Amino acid sequence: MDENALIEGMTRGDPRAFRELVERYKKKVYYLALDMAGNPIDAEDISQEVFLKVYRSFSTFRKGAKIGSWLYRVTYNASIDHLRKRGAAPEPVEDSVLESRSQADSGLPGAVPSDPAAAAESSQLRDRIDRALDKVSPQEKAVFMLRHYDDLMLKDIAESLGLSIGSVKSYLFRAVRKLQKELGRPALISGNGDIR
Amino acid sequence: MSECAKYKDRMIEAHYGELEPGDREELDRHVASCPECAAELAALRSTLGLMDGRERTDPGAEFWDGYWDRLSRRMLWESIDEGRKPSLVRRFIGSLAALPRWSYQAAGAAALLLIGIFIGGRLIAPAGGPVRETAASVAAGGAGVQAAAVVQAGNFVERSKVLLLGLVNSGPAGADAYGLDLDGKKAMSRNLAAEAPALRRALAGRDQKRLRGLVAELEVIMMQIANLGSGQDVEGVELVKQGVDARGIFLKIDLDRMGRDARPAVTVPGTPGTAKISKT
Repeated sequence: MDENALIEGMTRGDPRAFRELVERYKKKVYYLALDMAGNPIDAEDISQEVFLKVYRSFSTFRKGAKIGSWLYRVTYNASIDHLRKRGAAPEPVEDSVLESRSQADSGLPGAVPSDPAAAAESSQLRDRIDRALDKVSPQEKAVFMLRHYDDLMLKDIAESLGLSIGSVKSYLFRAVRKLQKELGRPALISGNGDIR
Repeated sequence: MSECAKYKDRMIEAHYGELEPGDREELDRHVASCPECAAELAALRSTLGLMDGRERTDPGAEFWDGYWDRLSRRMLWESIDEGRKPSLVRRFIGSLAALPRWSYQAAGAAALLLIGIFIGGRLIAPAGGPVRETAASVAAGGAGVQAAAVVQAGNFVERSKVLLLGLVNSGPAGADAYGLDLDGKKAMSRNLAAEAPALRRALAGRDQKRLRGLVAELEVIMMQIANLGSGQDVEGVELVKQGVDARGIFLKIDLDRMGRDARPAVTVPGTPGTAKISKT
């Protein structure tokens, strides 16, 4: 089923189209929610919210838009809502350390290597990165994640999140600058001293 | 803005390959001749390289395989209709557990009395007053459409019931696990699920809230059936059965039918037969 057929099916209320949409986009939606919320339980909850919302309000989908972009936007908004409800408090470092440890112990894919020294190093790196990401605002994080991990072009990120291309560049610049600072690298500052 | 600042601003875009070729060449020429910018670019690459080391934890094949089932189960439990709050209902039912037994008996007797008065009132009511009121509201506009929607929704509910009865009365005994035409049922469910959104929208009146809720629940169940796996999908069918049972779907269908039967009939212009619309 191509994109047009999917949109047509969703508009008609064809349940096969909805199933297809979920199967096709569940990973993208889940991973963005995971990046934003920081833990797998919330990520699944948010991703389900997203699909429920899509199911209920597909009539608001703008003709000519891309489903993927629209889903990113719905996911982004759902994640922001979730963070607000949670009080936008960054997760305590101890919890993220515990979580990364338990993931490492569980033997899940993406877990740390079996060599203890390499495992410890990998775990430390993950903690450093998680701590650095905690310093980045949700908007900056969303832009950075979509560019760095999902390989979306800046213009596509702008379309997905409903931002101007200038704002997207600005958020990306700020995110990278904060990450550099937190990870112990020299900050990237414009010549006139502005944070872009 | 100094020369270097201009190039530093372009470094991130360059890293991600989003700089125009001309600008990229210009940046490369500058970096080759400016040690400060070369160091800046190296630091940027180092940070972003470090971020490459962060892996998103894949929850695993089992998680992904069961994703649809968990989602459709949640859809069953959550109200599609914005007006209904099942969690509040569950909380109310939960609070009843704390009451003494005599209170249930007294409440039951009172409820029976009220139902009797209600049904009696509906059946024995003179054909004049209230129905004329309804007819007046039909003439006022919109009610005719509502009444037609109620007829269509009733038809939808009955067809869904027939389909569900065929499904829940089948059992996993024998070689053909369910001895049913699952593909045929899936096709019927698809059609029913596709009909439901328009019906929900048409049942806009406050007095159609319950019927609208039932249509919404049936819609989700029909979608679940339409998306059952190929072959017999014993597990999927069981899931549907559990959902139907847990939501008391047949009881709701029967109550809806009783409610519609108890209402006075009003002829809907432009529709065959009669439609039953509630008194306002």
